[in-house]
Amino acid sequence: MLQKSSLTLSDGTTLDDLIMRDSNEVSLRVMTDKELYDIEMERIFAKTWLLLGHESEIPNSGDFIVRDMAEDNVIIARDREGGVNVSLNVCPHRGMRVCLGEAGNKPIHQCIYHGWAFKPNGDFIGAPVEREKMHGNDVDKATLGLKKARVALYGGMIFATWNLDGPSFDEYLGDMKYYLDQLFCRTDNGLELLGPPQRFVIPCNWKVPGEQSGSDGFHTLTLHRSLMEGGIMGGTAESIYDQAPGMYGVDVSCEQGHSLRCLEAEKTFKMFADISFEGKSTVERLNLLTPPGITKEMIPQLFNNLSEDQVEQLATIPPQVGGMFPNILIAFIFAPRMDGGSSGALALHTYVPKGPDKVEFVNFIFAEKDAPEQMKRDMLQNSIQSTGTSGTIEQDDADVWPVIMRNARGGVSKHMTLKYKALHGHERPEGWKGGGLLYPGFTKDDTQWNWWLAYHKLMSEA
Amino acid sequence: MTWKTKSTASPDSTTILRGLASRSRVLLGSSVYNALLETLYDEAAALDERRFDDWTAMLDAELIYTAPIRLTRTGPNRDRDVMRTMFHFDEDYGSIMMRTGRLQKSAWAEDPPSRCRRFVSNVRIGELETAGEYEVVSYLFLERSRGDNPENERLTAERRDVWRDVDGAYKLVKREVIVDQSVLGMSNLAVFL
Repeated sequence: MLQKSSLTLSDGTTLDDLIMRDSNEVSLRVMTDKELYDIEMERIFAKTWLLLGHESEIPNSGDFIVRDMAEDNVIIARDREGGVNVSLNVCPHRGMRVCLGEAGNKPIHQCIYHGWAFKPNGDFIGAPVEREKMHGNDVDKATLGLKKARVALYGGMIFATWNLDGPSFDEYLGDMKYYLDQLFCRTDNGLELLGPPQRFVIPCNWKVPGEQSGSDGFHTLTLHRSLMEGGIMGGTAESIYDQAPGMYGVDVSCEQGHSLRCLEAEKTFKMFADISFEGKSTVERLNLLTPPGITKEMIPQLFNNLSEDQVEQLATIPPQVGGMFPNILIAFIFAPRMDGGSSGALALHTYVPKGPDKVEFVNFIFAEKDAPEQMKRDMLQNSIQSTGTSGTIEQDDADVWPVIMRNARGGVSKHMTLKYKALHGHERPEGWKGGGLLYPGFTKDDTQWNWWLAYHKLMSEA
Repeated sequence: MTWKTKSTASPDSTTILRGLASRSRVLLGSSVYNALLETLYDEAAALDERRFDDWTAMLDAELIYTAPIRLTRTGPNRDRDVMRTMFHFDEDYGSIMMRTGRLQKSAWAEDPPSRCRRFVSNVRIGELETAGEYEVVSYLFLERSRGDNPENERLTAERRDVWRDVDGAYKLVKREVIVDQSVLGMSNLAVFL
């Protein structure tokens, strides 16, 4: 028996009426309901870990960037001790934003309204005209700091949560850490963000791209048909559904809702089709086909930072695309270039809720810090041309999502359901070394359904 | 264009540059000015009418086409807001041909196509050192209607172009589109600016 959820909306609809765990369906109403959205803000976005940026954006003491944790604006600043702090960008005096720029360097953040001042770590310094005690008659200054979030750094990525006593970051990653390490923590000097993220707003609920980030592989064949037509992925325009390029591999996920699609490169991309891995060692494979973003010179670094099993996977069937619950998409992909290169594209997106019917798409583009400058240049171009604002892959996604959203508003349409009934079921492939829930073969609905189960779990907890 | 990676927080003088750099103006109403203005109008019409072959015929094979992101800055960095380390478009002639080629096939983002009006104004022109090359700065106001949505998506930008006289016709050699929004209100850039 499934444990009943504790969430009931004001019209009597329960979470179980919306997320139908016995039939693997989700009511379209979840995409428009304002009441549900308000609860998501408290039970998901104020509770779980959220990705905000990368350490390489704030290398020096006093450097700061400003980002959003859902609709809460925060300052991410490096203090004099080198620590990374995340503080709510709301002056505790009268509610003004303390920091109005998106990035810069400031030893002190002073609110432009009445002048209350704060350190990069959020501590209150004082209010102007100190002798008049404008911060309050008998108020302890230590209580007047900016509200501080809990911070975790992972592969240089800055995560934060308002849930001070909640699950640790490692608990949040769960079994996915083994796979994510292969993307984020594999070189000696790690990743580098190539510039501030692209940002744009799409008129749809955050869960429309959110559930897709739960490793929806199947849509690629149809929505991203131009990848096959353009000769980037295997097969031809006529044989897309027969050959189903990129559909076979091992999907991995976990109860926290994260997932990744691990794909054998030589079976996915046309340009690699003649490379046979038969009987080759891990190092030989890595040299034949370096993982996206990695140069041959960097191969020894992989062994410094990952276990032998992890490197073997990266050499054979690397994680390519996927997501982290609730709102991160991962695309660390092979990206064949027109000049014959294959330097790859490394991008992360966050889908930041901006009301029930708006989501901000934030596109972070990376390269390995140790990559040659020309390779970084190429990789920036690869990511921009495939992902984000103008990316020829994702501009098609951005066209679909608002239409689903408009459908979800109809009095009849909103009772339609999203269906996740094409399930494989957990199965451990022979010789597979990593943990988690495993779905070998054709990519199905399992990982996306796990995304919804993670959603259901958090939404059930008051 | 020189290019190197750098962190978000570190300010850089290259982030200031906007507008017309040339000091040698081509006067409004002169024959060169009129011909270039007409070229901009023709280009806007080709794009609005989705005549991509006509548009790409106006592009030089050396084309560099970029759209840097904008950032909100304060204090001493308040005008250093054009971030030339990250772009919405980062293109050359080959990648533009790839994009227009895709639009002839299964590019659902523009099938059905959006209906666009590109309003081009505030055109200022300067001569460059190479004879027959002109720096052309214009304002772009793009209104984009999609599907049955009665609300248009819109975008405003400054375009810093270099046009080259090739056998009596002008070819676009360089375009930098400086959009005004730090967060674009347009849900994709499946159209050219």
